[in-house]
Amino acid sequence: MSLPILPTTVVGSYSMPGWLERLKTEYFARRISRVDLDEIHDTAVKAAIKDQEIAGLDIVTDGELRRDNLVDYFVERMPGVQIDRASKKFYYDFYDSVVERKLPHASLGLAKDFLFLKANTDREAKFCVTGPHSLSKRIRNTFYPNEEAFATDIAGVLNLELKELVKAGARFLQIDEPYLSGFPDDLPWAVNVLNTLVAGVQAKIGVHICYGNRYGKPSWEGSYKYLLPKIFEAKVQQLTLEFARRGEEDLDILRELAKSFEIGVGTIDVKTNAVETADVVAERIRKALEFAPAERLFILPDCGCFHLPRDVAFAKLSAMVEGTRAVRKELGK
Amino acid sequence: MILQFNHLQRKSAAATTTDVIDALYGLLEEGHIGQSQFARLRIQLDWIQYRQNFREPVMVLRATNEAGEDPSIMDIHVDTRQVSPEALRGKLIEAMAREDGETPRPEDRVVLEKFQSFRSSIAWKFNGLYWHHLTDWEKATGRSYEQALPGGKSDANDAAAVADSVADFWTLLKDLENHHQLPAEIFLLEIGVGMGKRSGLWLDRFRALDEERGTKYYPRLRFLLADYALATLERSRPAVRAHLDLCSFIVLDALNPMKTLAFLRHKILQIHLTNVYDNLPDEELARRDGRLYLVEVRAYLASSEANRIAQEFALGAAEIAWMVGRLLELGPDCFPERSRGVAFWQEVWKALRLEERLVPLDELPGESLPSGLDSRQLADVLRNAPSDLRIHLSSGALESFRNTVPLLHPRGYLQVQDIFISDLNDCRLGFQGPGKLDGSIVNWVNGVLLREVAERAGYDVHFAPFHYRKGSRTSILYTTQRE
Repeated sequence: MSLPILPTTVVGSYSMPGWLERLKTEYFARRISRVDLDEIHDTAVKAAIKDQEIAGLDIVTDGELRRDNLVDYFVERMPGVQIDRASKKFYYDFYDSVVERKLPHASLGLAKDFLFLKANTDREAKFCVTGPHSLSKRIRNTFYPNEEAFATDIAGVLNLELKELVKAGARFLQIDEPYLSGFPDDLPWAVNVLNTLVAGVQAKIGVHICYGNRYGKPSWEGSYKYLLPKIFEAKVQQLTLEFARRGEEDLDILRELAKSFEIGVGTIDVKTNAVETADVVAERIRKALEFAPAERLFILPDCGCFHLPRDVAFAKLSAMVEGTRAVRKELGK
Repeated sequence: MILQFNHLQRKSAAATTTDVIDALYGLLEEGHIGQSQFARLRIQLDWIQYRQNFREPVMVLRATNEAGEDPSIMDIHVDTRQVSPEALRGKLIEAMAREDGETPRPEDRVVLEKFQSFRSSIAWKFNGLYWHHLTDWEKATGRSYEQALPGGKSDANDAAAVADSVADFWTLLKDLENHHQLPAEIFLLEIGVGMGKRSGLWLDRFRALDEERGTKYYPRLRFLLADYALATLERSRPAVRAHLDLCSFIVLDALNPMKTLAFLRHKILQIHLTNVYDNLPDEELARRDGRLYLVEVRAYLASSEANRIAQEFALGAAEIAWMVGRLLELGPDCFPERSRGVAFWQEVWKALRLEERLVPLDELPGESLPSGLDSRQLADVLRNAPSDLRIHLSSGALESFRNTVPLLHPRGYLQVQDIFISDLNDCRLGFQGPGKLDGSIVNWVNGVLLREVAERAGYDVHFAPFHYRKGSRTSILYTTQRE
């Protein structure tokens, strides 16, 4: 991967347009076909990629616009998970889903969406997968004896999928674990499960841990201190954390974490439509640099831009890029 | 013909349902109502919570005529409490003649505005006047606004309800502490504090519970008392005098608390409102024979009342509308003698009425819907609603909710004590406002639409009847995080 210092990227999702929300809901109301919806998704994804490129990001994603939320994209592809398709009123709702027998290991077919991303950009590409801990919190389990056993089997299924993505050319994969901060006591087993997930996957692996972004609001509050020291056992290369909204309170944790991981620093608050200036972003990066060397930092928003209006998301990402460039200049890089 | 019966406390002098039926059949036989119109007539014998309201005792409501459209949609509203059997027939004929497009309207009303959505009506300026000049009003009436409430006091101050609220909140704090997530500062917000009685009771009770359990949460409380006007906030200070170190007094627009408190986004653990939503700007939609209508209103004074008021305040008959404008602009100082201004205000308010008409909507008014509610959501709600109904959009309440919840901490909750309709079938049970409560406006709040807006904002809302006082019509809305 040939990237500048302080590479910029999104956490995963880009702004979900209102018109796409309405069309997705139309699909669930059986008023448009799957074929039409797929074509709509393709068009929306191309636009999201282009927006990220114009904003100047070094690494782009597909904006996750095919996904209704962080769970259902995986759940509806996962053999052995039964879903109640009538359980959604609005596309963003979670399906009611249940596992009543051992999960079979089979492909989810995510590589197709990654290949679409690759075909539509010449930038570095990142693909994101919701992690087993978070999925195990949303899928009802009546088969496995406990959450850890359930999450471990989900990790087994997803491990094959990550390898499929690598075969398709993915070099940078990100595991999203937004539920971890809500259940800090799960961390010991969640890290073990994470290691099962990434075993043998030949790519840069990042883990995104935030305080939730459901409906554009935090689901939990607390301190990242709970990650220490168990997180050091995680066999991943990068941790992506939110700091813009939460302030500098936890920033000193980077001193320890950066010794073992690259750090994706959240510099854009995605839970407000107020657009940060490039100066504000630059200042946030400088603060992070007090605790970790530039070579170990990636620059991102706090979380996905899913809930932001498109113009706001674009302006925020543009400010993030501009602020990052200013700091690079100060560093002489 | 659809005849709505409602549960009225019958007074011996008032018309009964039988009187209404007899009178209508008489009018049919005499040709005052045509056969086809009679078949589509919708009669509502209003149950009106507040006897003081904006309607004549007998009122006819029509859809506005459109070229080529059958204008026979006609609603007749009869407040059987306020019309005697002897007067009923005459009032029905009079009301129908007024709405008959072919007959010139009698010039017996002083019109104060053009037809428009209720939300924009000057009625709301009167409402604002009341809260800004509450002391003047109370001085003139000799009673506080709380005494004007049904039952003479606010359910918000019920000691058992306050104790339960405190206990629930303490349990939340304990749980946060157990998970090492208790914030250093514990923010609470009370919107619409009135005399501050509930806030005082709440803080007294919380301090006692905290001491009893030795948890030391009390000193960490940051209690924000918010209201529409500084004058009201000043009046609330004595009620919380034992807790002033923890209290802040904030003038705030209940329609948009975020505008004032954005710095507390995601930080407030409990937000409470009592009798606020029912007093926020509102508008109504009606569906008749499958078609949707906006209810437009126009404020007026009956000429007889306008003349009486003009005479009493030494005004020319033509000056009354002008003086009402001055009143709404300057308040009671519209007269050189302030007390005269208050007296004028009270007389005009008492006489103020709203004409109503139904304006057909070709499609749901997406742009004019309250923020957080789109036309598709409204269409979905209406799809599952009774075919003929009239609903409050509760625009102000929805706007307030939408602009309040971003203040909530992830574990925080909103509690709203008010009069809610949680099932649209209830809209057919009778008239839910607007009514007059002393100098202010009161409307039932559309809990069904509130639920829709809440879902899109990431909250489920639940309605619990207020069981602490027998006969109370209020419910408590509380939010939980939506998964």
